[in-house]
Formats: sequence, C-alpha cells, structure tokens
Amino acid sequence: MMDIEWSGWAVASAEIIALVVIGTGLLQIGFYIVQLGFAGLSLAQRPPVVRSSQLWQRYAEQAPPIAVLAPAFNEEVTIVESVNSLLALHYPDFEVIVINDGSKDGTLARLLGHFGLERVDRYHDLTVQHQPIRGLYASPRLPRLLVVDKENGGKSDALNAGINVARSPLFCSIDADSLLESDALIRAVRPFVEEPEKMVAVGGTIRLANGSHIAAGRVTSVRLPTNFLALVQIMEYLRAFLMARLALSRMQVLTVISGAFGLFRRRLALEVGGYSHGTVGEDMELVVKLHRHMRDLKQEYRIEFIPEPVCWTEAPEDLTILGRQRSRWQRGALETFAKHRDMLFNPRYGRIGFIGFGQVMIVDVMGPVVEVVGYALVPLLWAVGLLAVEYLLAFLAITFTFGIFVSVATLILEEFELRRFPRASDLIILTAVAIVENFGYRQLSNLWRIWGMFQFFRKKQGWGTMTRKGFTSAEPSPPART
Amino acid sequence: MIMVVLILARIVAGHRHEALVAKRRHFLSLLLGDGSEEELAQLSQESPRLLGELSLELIQLVRGEERDQFIATATRLGIDAELRRRLIKGATRTRITAAEVLGDFPDDHSAAALEAALDDRSPDVRLAAALALAHSNRAPPVGLLVERLRLGTSERSLLITSLLADIARERQAEVRALIDDPAVPPPVKAAAIEALGATGDYSLVPVVNALALAADPSGEELPRYLRVLGNFQHPAGTPAVTKYLASPTWYVRAAAAEAAGKICLYELSYKLLAMLDDGDWWVRFRAGEALVRLGEPGRRLLGETARCGTERARDAARLTLAEQGVPA
Repeated sequence: MMDIEWSGWAVASAEIIALVVIGTGLLQIGFYIVQLGFAGLSLAQRPPVVRSSQLWQRYAEQAPPIAVLAPAFNEEVTIVESVNSLLALHYPDFEVIVINDGSKDGTLARLLGHFGLERVDRYHDLTVQHQPIRGLYASPRLPRLLVVDKENGGKSDALNAGINVARSPLFCSIDADSLLESDALIRAVRPFVEEPEKMVAVGGTIRLANGSHIAAGRVTSVRLPTNFLALVQIMEYLRAFLMARLALSRMQVLTVISGAFGLFRRRLALEVGGYSHGTVGEDMELVVKLHRHMRDLKQEYRIEFIPEPVCWTEAPEDLTILGRQRSRWQRGALETFAKHRDMLFNPRYGRIGFIGFGQVMIVDVMGPVVEVVGYALVPLLWAVGLLAVEYLLAFLAITFTFGIFVSVATLILEEFELRRFPRASDLIILTAVAIVENFGYRQLSNLWRIWGMFQFFRKKQGWGTMTRKGFTSAEPSPPART
Repeated sequence: MIMVVLILARIVAGHRHEALVAKRRHFLSLLLGDGSEEELAQLSQESPRLLGELSLELIQLVRGEERDQFIATATRLGIDAELRRRLIKGATRTRITAAEVLGDFPDDHSAAALEAALDDRSPDVRLAAALALAHSNRAPPVGLLVERLRLGTSERSLLITSLLADIARERQAEVRALIDDPAVPPPVKAAAIEALGATGDYSLVPVVNALALAADPSGEELPRYLRVLGNFQHPAGTPAVTKYLASPTWYVRAAAAEAAGKICLYELSYKLLAMLDDGDWWVRFRAGEALVRLGEPGRRLLGETARCGTERARDAARLTLAEQGVPA
C-alpha cells in the first residue's frame, strides 16, 4: 500500500464513485430479490402443466389461426429437417411461412426440390417495408407450407416480409434453426384465448439443446453438455427466463420476447411498422414499440411470458463467438434504450417507463460499467490507502455470494416447479456451475458487454460473422438472443 | 443447503423411479380389466395416489364405454371423493384439473361440488367448473352462469363461446334468450350468437341482423355478428351487411365484405368492386374474395378491374384471380 497524502477533492471523488458503485449494486440486488419473489409467485399460480391432449380439448375449438414465420439464410443443410419439424406441430390451424432471405447457398433449391413446390401468386399486404419479394412457392400437396423468396435484408426484414404475407390474426416468429416442441403453439396461444381483447404478445421459454439427443427435429432426451461455456449458458438462460422474464411479465413490464420464439398479434405489429431495420435488437425493439403504441392509444393490454412453451436452440461453445454474441446483445439493448429513452421515468408510460426501462437502465446500461468499475476501483483504492481490507473483502463477498444466491434460487425454483433436468447429477453439475461461473466467466461476460457499449458508441452496425455447429451439422446463422 | 436436500431427494426419487414405472405398468393392466376387485381395492389402499393419477389419465384419454368403465372403477376406488377434496383444498392449478375431471363423474355429489366451484375465488376455476358442468349437460340456468361467472364483464375469454355452445346443444332456447335480454353484456351476446350459429336455425338471422344494426360501429362485437351472418348464408342479413360495407372502421368493412361474399349478395357487386381500391389491405382482400364467391359475374368484374382499374384495384383483382387459377 502506498503512503500518499491525497487532497480532499480526490478523496471526495473516490467516495462518490464508490457510493455510486455500491448504490447501483444494491439496487440491482434489490431488483433481483423482487424478481425472485415475483417469479416464485408466478410459477406457483400458473395454470396446470397439462398434457397436450388436454390442452387440445380445452383450447382447440377457439384457438385462432397462427402463421409461423421462419426466416432462413444459408440453411441449406438443415432447412428440410427444420421445415418438417414445423409442419409436424400440433395446432388446429396454422401455416408455415419460410422466408428465404436471399440465401447464397442452395436453401431455396432444397426447399423447392424436397417439398415439390411451385411458383404461385398470392395477394399479400405491403404495409411494412422490406426488400423485394422475388417469388412465392407452394404446393397443393402441402397446403400449410408457403415459401417466400426475397432479396437479402436481414432477419427483421425477412420477418417483415412474413408479416405482410401472413393472413392469420397471430404470427409466431421463430429462428429457422430452432426446434419447437410440438405443443408449443397450443400452449402459447392460451393467453390469447383467455384474454382475447387485451393480449398483444406472448413469449415462451428458450432452452439450450447442446448435449441433448435430437432425432427427426425433436429433442428426444435432455442431457447437459460437457462444454463449460454451454453449461454456463444453461444457467444464464435459466436465470433469464425462469426468473427475470417470468417476474417482469408478472409485473407487466416485459421488454424482451426472444426472436427465437414469440407470438404476436399481426394487426398491432403492422400498426407499429413491424420490425425495425438497422438494429441488432429488433426483437426487443418490437416489444418496446408495442408497449409504447398501446400506452399512446391508452388501451388496456398485456404482454406475457409463459414458461411452458419450449423452443430449443443451440448456444455457442466457443469464446470468440460467444463474446461476439454477447456484445451484440448489449448493443441491441442500448440501441433500443437510446431510441426510446423518452419513455424512461415518463409518467405517460406508467410502469413500463419506470420499472421496465428502469430495469434496463440499471441492469443493461449501468450494470456492466458499475461492476467493472467496482472491480477496478476497489483494489485501486485499497492500494492507495483509501480503503480498508475489510471493506474490500466485504464488497467481494457480497458480490459473489449474491451472484451464487440468485443462480441457486433459480435452480430451486426450477426443481420445485418444473423439474426439467432428468437426473440428480444434472443438479449437482448446475449447482457447481452456479458457483464457478462467478469467478472468471462473470467478469469476462461484463467485459464483452462493455465491448458492446463501445461498439454502440462507435455506431457499429451489423451482426458480425457467427458460426454455429447446427443441431446436425456445421452451419452459419445468427443465434437467438435471450 | 436447500440444494443439497433437493439433490438428495432427487437421488432417492431416481432410485425409486424404476420401481414406480413397473408399479405403474402393473396398475395400468389391472385398470384395463386384468385385475379383480379385491386386487384393485388392495392396491388403492397401498398406493392411493398413484392409482388416482392413473385413473384420471385414463378417463381423459378414452371415450365411450371404456370411459364409463374407468369412471365406475374410479368411483369404487373413491377417486371422485379425492377430486372433490382437491377442488376445495388444492392450489389453483389442482382445482382446475379436478374440475375438468369431475365433469366426467355422473353422480350428484360431483355435480354439487362443481356447482359450488362456480363461486371459487379463481376465475379460471369458475370457468373450468362451468365448462365441466356444461359438457355433461348439468349446467345451471345460463342467466345465473352469466351473473356468477361475471361473463362479458370481468370474464371475457373466448371459451365463453365453447361454454354456450355446449349448453345450446340441449337447451337452445335458454342461450337464445341471452340475445334478447338487454341486460346481457355485448361480448356474451356475441358468444351466444356464435354458439347458436352452428345450429343452422335461420330464425336467428333477423335477430342477429337487428343486433348488428344497433351495435357500436367500432365495437369488437360487430365483426363477430357479421361473420355469423355470413356463416348463415341467408339473405335476411343483407341490411346489416350493406350498411357496414361503408363503415369507417376497416375491420368492420372487411367483415361485411366477407359476409357479402358468403351470402352471395349479387346486388352488392359494384360496392365490393369499389372496395378493391380501399386503403386497407384486408378490406381489398376480403372484397376480392367475395367477388370470387359470387361466381362468374364476380370474376368477370374482377377481370375488368384487373385490366382497367386503379393501380391498387388492378393488383387486388389480378392477384385474387391468379390465386384462383383464373388468368386476368
């Protein structure tokens, strides 16, 4: 420790910074505790997780038609299996609209050849903007399938084309390389049947398929991956969906519905102009636009997350790719936050402005900065003699203990209410991961988020190159954000 | 610490799982008719919970005589009593399931328990109990249901239509009375009309027509009325359909156009033709569809528009015909 005489202003500045760090940390902790409470309440009071046959009996008669929109870019290897899996969904009235977003490989040829599709004319809407459609393809043999071939414009552009072409009152946006449980649609539609006038959008749970056995487009046996990064992400997804989204939904302040699986009212998506271009967080932005729109109209509405409908996706198992993904998510959150910053603490937007945007500000905007500043500042202050060792240890103990507490509490919720991990050994591994991830991975994750902030301020655009193994083979495609 | 307990509990449960699977298989064969009364009675004392769960699964899976047989067995094993207990003391989700399954038990005790559940603190349980009673033709008077379940006011689920349709199968007049009652909220009237729409009772058409004419022009119910008029395909619905083709609300215009096509109202051809240039896509789409439904005269008009209409109408007409495989 250096023995330096520090001037009063330096000490005062250090104190202020330390107070901001501690205050923000406490706010985050407080918010997580509230979230845990709401998530627990929500899980305990959710409707019964019944068999699909019962759901069918209960809802099939009144279930509105759904258009499943699957944007595809260079998915030649897995597209046929993905579409077969979508066509096998159990739902009374749905159509699958695959949007070939100007793929440079043989995606379109594979689709046309395998399903025997031919060019058709279909009168469609032009309300939302997207790159020109080159052709529509269908076959009378498969009346549920429609392929839209368009010029490349990115995922949001492809989804906009799908919204225009869809004729159902609801649409479901998915990633073409994700796998939906066969009863995901009938489970997700429940809120639209029960509150038809208020329901605007519903999000479902995304789970990681890394390590699990997959056959014919279905996850047949749930297994944990052996890759550490994938394991850590399983914990992250559990926290994100089982705690955060469930709680935020309960509070009616949900700001994100994952692009990998979300159900939306088509008319309202059109009214807000569909997905925005020029953002990497288009899924979050659509939800925020819907909140804003409904608040501006002064109409009662609901945006829900329900834990049962499951969509399986693949997580990156490589540090570079994961880092790229996380910095992009951070950029997406900041872009949406900046674009709609007037909603923050604005009484006109009620709880979404105060709690929803407040949460985004504390967790996404300030969180990574404050945590990294905290890590840097505490040893620095200690080194120059402005901090006692006890404080340093107390700070680190609180940070790590609370990190572990949140993860373990989420696991407890999982085990009590859902029990989706089949073996006791899975729980042991995940508990260990909940502890270990706080030492190294957590700090790395914050650095990726800081990098995302840097990219945002530099106004970096685009997704960057993403590489995926694919469920069955190697495949490049953007992963799902959570 | 809690995790340690949970993990230990899971290990124990894991060890017991195989034994449970074997037991389940054995119980299943007994319930499917391979066991004697004595065996079943003994097992119901040993593992009442497992036997109860299995019986419920089977009751929900099968229909007809087999279901009656399972229900009789379950009643002998006292499962209906257990369900009635769960309907009162269980968590919300347990109460919903109990209500759904109790609907299959024909005895008076179960019916009484379900009726009592119509006053449950959870609206989901109340609706589940009502649906279960209606499905087994034991629902209380419809007016009473509207009041007790607060249908159309706090309870606005689409399942109201299923509920009323189930009741209308045997007690059509009662559901119909809802339509004439001015105190009944509009969403319930709309649900009643939809429920009765499937009966093909044409005497309803003038009633629905009058309701539509008197409805709030931008209300959620109006398109539902118009759709029902379309489904009846009866010309008595013409006044409402004609009026709302000119509605300022796009979804009302679209519903009216759809109904005009279904009823085959040739006299509205030129109005439908003008709607091909509507500012809203859904209206243009429904108008095109309606003209196709009018047969040759409608297609001829579409063909003419495809050649010499405004750009928007031309597109609508050409693509509507193309979808039907008719060259413009």
